[in-house]
Amino acid sequence: MIDLKSVSLIYQDHGKEVFACKDIDLGVQPGEFLGILGPSGSGKSSLLYVMSGLKVPTKGSVEWLSRELGKMGDQERAEIRLREFGFVFQYPFLIGYLTALENVLLAFPAEDRRADAEKFLIELGLQDQMHRYPYQMSGGQKQRVCVARALLGSPKVVFADEPTASLDHKSGRAVMDLLIQNRGDGALVVVTHDPVMLEGADRIIRMEDGEIAPKNA
Amino acid sequence: MGGANKVKNKLGATVYLRRNLGKTMPLIGVIILAVMLIAGIVSLINSIPLSIKTIYSYSRNYVAVTPRGNALLTPLLRKSIEQGSPVEIDRLMVIRGTDIEVKSIVGNWPFVVLGLEQSDMDYYLKRMKAKVLDGRKPAVGEPEVMISEKLARNLNLKLGSVIQKPTDSDNYSPQEVKVVGIAESEFWFAFGSVEYQRENHFPPIDALLVFAKNPTDQKRLDDWTTATLKGENARVFTYKELEIQADTMFNILYQILNVVIGTLVVVITLMMGMLMNIFLSQRVQEFGLLQALGYTKRSLIMRVFWETTVFVIGGWVLGVLVAWGLLNVVKVTLMDPRSFALDTLDKWAYLYSLPVPIAIFAVSILTVFAKFKNFDPVGVVERRLV
Repeated sequence: MIDLKSVSLIYQDHGKEVFACKDIDLGVQPGEFLGILGPSGSGKSSLLYVMSGLKVPTKGSVEWLSRELGKMGDQERAEIRLREFGFVFQYPFLIGYLTALENVLLAFPAEDRRADAEKFLIELGLQDQMHRYPYQMSGGQKQRVCVARALLGSPKVVFADEPTASLDHKSGRAVMDLLIQNRGDGALVVVTHDPVMLEGADRIIRMEDGEIAPKNA
Repeated sequence: MGGANKVKNKLGATVYLRRNLGKTMPLIGVIILAVMLIAGIVSLINSIPLSIKTIYSYSRNYVAVTPRGNALLTPLLRKSIEQGSPVEIDRLMVIRGTDIEVKSIVGNWPFVVLGLEQSDMDYYLKRMKAKVLDGRKPAVGEPEVMISEKLARNLNLKLGSVIQKPTDSDNYSPQEVKVVGIAESEFWFAFGSVEYQRENHFPPIDALLVFAKNPTDQKRLDDWTTATLKGENARVFTYKELEIQADTMFNILYQILNVVIGTLVVVITLMMGMLMNIFLSQRVQEFGLLQALGYTKRSLIMRVFWETTVFVIGGWVLGVLVAWGLLNVVKVTLMDPRSFALDTLDKWAYLYSLPVPIAIFAVSILTVFAKFKNFDPVGVVERRLV
């Protein structure tokens, strides 16, 4: 479904090339739960942003359903992110002047999916937060709303970048359970530095210095 | 259904503005104040020429001709007009005139008390569309005048009040001239007995008032008289000439006004530009998140475009309403009691305030374009930019 071929992402730092990702070959299969593990600065988040079309690789190619993301225009990539992907970020980013329900509905700017969103939030146990504003919610509750936003509409892939990093262990676990149990048939790509959060993953890769580490490392 | 629409329009142009009143109201307040200030200044300045046109609007009803240098020219001028007029003349009055002063917001202006024959007084009132409210017409040879209600208000005169007296150099007459009649009319006027003026006032020159039979022909008669008597020993007074004078005598004032307003617009726009920059910087996280989720730059720019449109148009409309309200208060409390002219719906006053929303809109949109040019949503979601 997603194929990365010899992908490198290079930053310029004071005229010096820095490899955030280096020669990565990787595939994501439909319905797969892929964990990307690694310490801070290992390039795991960069890899996720390249896979999801948020960044265009400096070298190599990323294909989504056999179409190269790097050759698409910004608008087409944005359309794929909106229609096919779901995102959960490290910080529970919600728009402060919208309620939880309205934040969830941001995933559908052109459609009226209120009934679906309400039903989904109830299923996720967020009925009490539905009409609250972000400032009225805890960090864990906000991240759960972010998960609901990512999962509504059953995206083909959900990308989660350190979704538990800003939460305590219990809230983090709850967020991960929510993601795993409600992703349906979609693939799930989770970047984390905490191996415990990848419990139940179909596959885990480890990143080191921008490269995928050997399996036995 | 209403609820569904509410959610469907979650990022509508007014949602941010309505739900962040603490941030948007001060900015809208600045636009309101700027519009109010500009519209107020322009409206008050425009009230000066408007006052002149209003005070002397009686001249729309006739053309006045006075001989120059030789009092004996009057009959010749009369003959010339009667024989050559391109339109039918209804009445040609031989009159006298003396000066008084009326009040305006920029000081006193000269005003003529006409000296009319008794037989001309009713006709004059008819052409002035006047209705006698109180009192009577001035008697032959007596120091008496009939005035319009607007003039009475301006000079705070009532029946029996003295309008001219020997001790008042600005409103001089050798005897005390009293108000004996007040008439309702859209025009300002004052007339007394021509016999009294001939006896008591200098210079001894009769002037002419020429009325076209059909009021719609008056302008044609005015133009013909002006052209015909050009270069002759005569002075012609027409409403057209008055309009030209009123519109041109304040040219320098208007140039100064343009510079002041231009400076004001630049200052307000710079200030608003900086505020809008801060305003938009506070929303970088929102824009980054939306772009990361899959909203295109174009859709986000369009969103800010519509928000800004609603914001500046709303601010301008509110500013116009506030200005209109305040100008009405000024008109009722300060201007009307003295018959001062003020047009609270002066289109130029409101049009002059348009550069404020337009400049703020342009600066805001440029700021957004600059911000989005190299915008990196990943920097936002990774919290490197916020």
